[in-house]
Amino acid sequence: MVVRKLSVILLVALSALLIAKTTLTVVEVFTSPERDAILKEIINRFEAQNPGVKINLISPPYETAYQKIYTMVSNKQPIDIVEVGDWSLSTLASMGGLENLEPYIAKWDGAKYMLPNLLEFARIYKGKAYLIPNAVYAKTLFIRKDVLKKYGIEHAPKTVFELYGMASYLTDPRKGQYGYDFRGKGYPTDFIDLFVTSFFNDIDPNNMYLTKDGRLIWDDPRAKLGLELYVKIFKNAAPKDAVNWGFSEQINSFVSGIAPLLYQDPDTLGVLRDNLPDNLYETDPLPLGPYGKAYPHYGFSGWGIVSYSKHKDLAWKFIKFFNSPEILSYWCKNYGVLPPDMRVYENDPFFKSDKYKGWIEMFNDPEHYQFTKQPIWSEAWGKWTDLQERTTQEILLGKKTIDQVLKEWSKFWKDAGLK
Amino acid sequence: MERCRSEIKPRHPARFFLYAILPVLVMVSFLVVYPTIRGVIMSFQNYNLYNLHDVHFVGFKNYRTVYTDSRFYEDLWNTVLWIAGSVSLQFVLGFILALLMWEPFKGRGIYAGLVFYPWALSGFAIGLVWSWLMNGTFGVINDVLMRMHVIEYPIHFLSDPKWAMLSVILVNVWYGIPFFAIMILAALQSVPKSVVEAAMIDGAGPMRRLFGIVIPYIRPTILSTLLLRVIWVMNFPDIIYGTTRGGPAGATETLSVYMVNVVFYENDYSKAATVGVTILAILIVYTLIYIKTTSYEELEL
Repeated sequence: MVVRKLSVILLVALSALLIAKTTLTVVEVFTSPERDAILKEIINRFEAQNPGVKINLISPPYETAYQKIYTMVSNKQPIDIVEVGDWSLSTLASMGGLENLEPYIAKWDGAKYMLPNLLEFARIYKGKAYLIPNAVYAKTLFIRKDVLKKYGIEHAPKTVFELYGMASYLTDPRKGQYGYDFRGKGYPTDFIDLFVTSFFNDIDPNNMYLTKDGRLIWDDPRAKLGLELYVKIFKNAAPKDAVNWGFSEQINSFVSGIAPLLYQDPDTLGVLRDNLPDNLYETDPLPLGPYGKAYPHYGFSGWGIVSYSKHKDLAWKFIKFFNSPEILSYWCKNYGVLPPDMRVYENDPFFKSDKYKGWIEMFNDPEHYQFTKQPIWSEAWGKWTDLQERTTQEILLGKKTIDQVLKEWSKFWKDAGLK
Repeated sequence: MERCRSEIKPRHPARFFLYAILPVLVMVSFLVVYPTIRGVIMSFQNYNLYNLHDVHFVGFKNYRTVYTDSRFYEDLWNTVLWIAGSVSLQFVLGFILALLMWEPFKGRGIYAGLVFYPWALSGFAIGLVWSWLMNGTFGVINDVLMRMHVIEYPIHFLSDPKWAMLSVILVNVWYGIPFFAIMILAALQSVPKSVVEAAMIDGAGPMRRLFGIVIPYIRPTILSTLLLRVIWVMNFPDIIYGTTRGGPAGATETLSVYMVNVVFYENDYSKAATVGVTILAILIVYTLIYIKTTSYEELEL
């Protein structure tokens, strides 16, 4: 009898405790069943470590997630943590929806292990960080070792000229063999910018489209040299059809061996893992320009704290937990993104394979690789990607000259107030 | 019995009818009237992703931006080509298919099912499938043509500006034939066989029978389907978006694709609304002219 009474009391006390739990509401953007499973596992671990805390994960469908988050934040709905991507960062921050994380970062030892310049990328809005990146994207060079070997090539190209030479040497349309997986449509911006900027040695560390003395790169004769090489690669080392190639065509021609040299992001690794034997491909650092420089950039997403949250310290605790090397290692490995923390690459043998070689060498070589922001905070950015895609296609199809287009680009950015 | 019926009769017929059509009225105003008015209002505002809170009226600014851009006129011309090419081929081929299926034959059901099935697919999916079929490097169509020695080098269906528009039109034709085939076949069933047979006995050839009897009989269907199809094709960005996104270099960008691109690339909802209102205006003018020049009573909507 006593035992029963006691157990009833215990049960009541337990349920009272359950009700008294603090709830953190987290809204994610990149919803997908696979990713949600990983995310839930991390949440379970956090809840196990923090009794009394419950995390409520909201997963809107990806297509409408950004709009949904904008509405939730502007209506001050009770949420604590939001997933912020480089694209939504400025909008959310300018709405006043995000908490400035600088005071937290100042007291956080994880900050000094971040990838080179990555925190600067997170500071695109008024120089303050409003999120901590937990997933990083960056372009690197993927090579098909077997295809190159067939033509007697044993190593990856070190410079853009070597890349062009190699790719055009391989190209033989009669055999259906090409060199470079060209990207013609669907946001080709990164690919164009990488080639153009590699001809510079004085890019502003805070803005890829400016030189250190504050001039637009499009007015510089070196931009023309870069674009000329880019067009030559299209003409002599890629199928004519590639002017209409997007992500899936690029991947398809890499997997089928039609073109063995590919610039891509880490999410490509997941696709390749399912479609290619492990020993046929690897990643290498991006080829350098004539000055021995290349200017890649990061894409990223991470958690931000909502400015009106009632549990900011707890929210920060969750972010800190999420960005610990162990969790990042689990998260990035399974989700297929680059870890933002240098310690993960050192600790986890998974990231020591030749699949990650390209990125790691670039991260460890700041002299040659300067990770630099594109002006994505500009309101004109979306329009720019459209203009750059169209006009580059016009060059490739011979409808406009490089000079004409460079003038157009320069005017575009002057009108947009970059200069 | 009599008593029962009189009880069911509504006491206020007018009010009864109002209640009866109210659900439809609410639906139509919610799904059609409101978005249209909102779209027109938006086209005079500065509503975009970077400006969600300080939305105000800016007069004709968006219209000036759109109409002073040569891209608009290129897209308008592309739209004309897209509609004329798609609808005329869809109509002629759909008509022929319907005529072929008019007489019952063994396996007609299966045949009709095969003919009609593209109509059941999503336009965007069709675009993606055809973009792989017509791919200039690893596409099946090029492969077959090359193996048959019809061509020596692959044709760049979607990446050569000279081919691109024709290619997307052909995809749209493949998709749209069933619509005409279904509608015309249904109309053909109403053509009295006896009249056709009588004409045959009188010595009228197949062409004479077609133009003298069949077409006049199904004229209302032809007129209304053509009207509808032009409107749909003009508003239909799916196939082009799935294959080329309007490229290469704008060669296949129609006004409806332009509208989608403005939203996705520029995040400028007001500018997209401006293009949308322009499409609407063009379609209203077109419909009015169409109805005036044909006779309205004949339209079987």
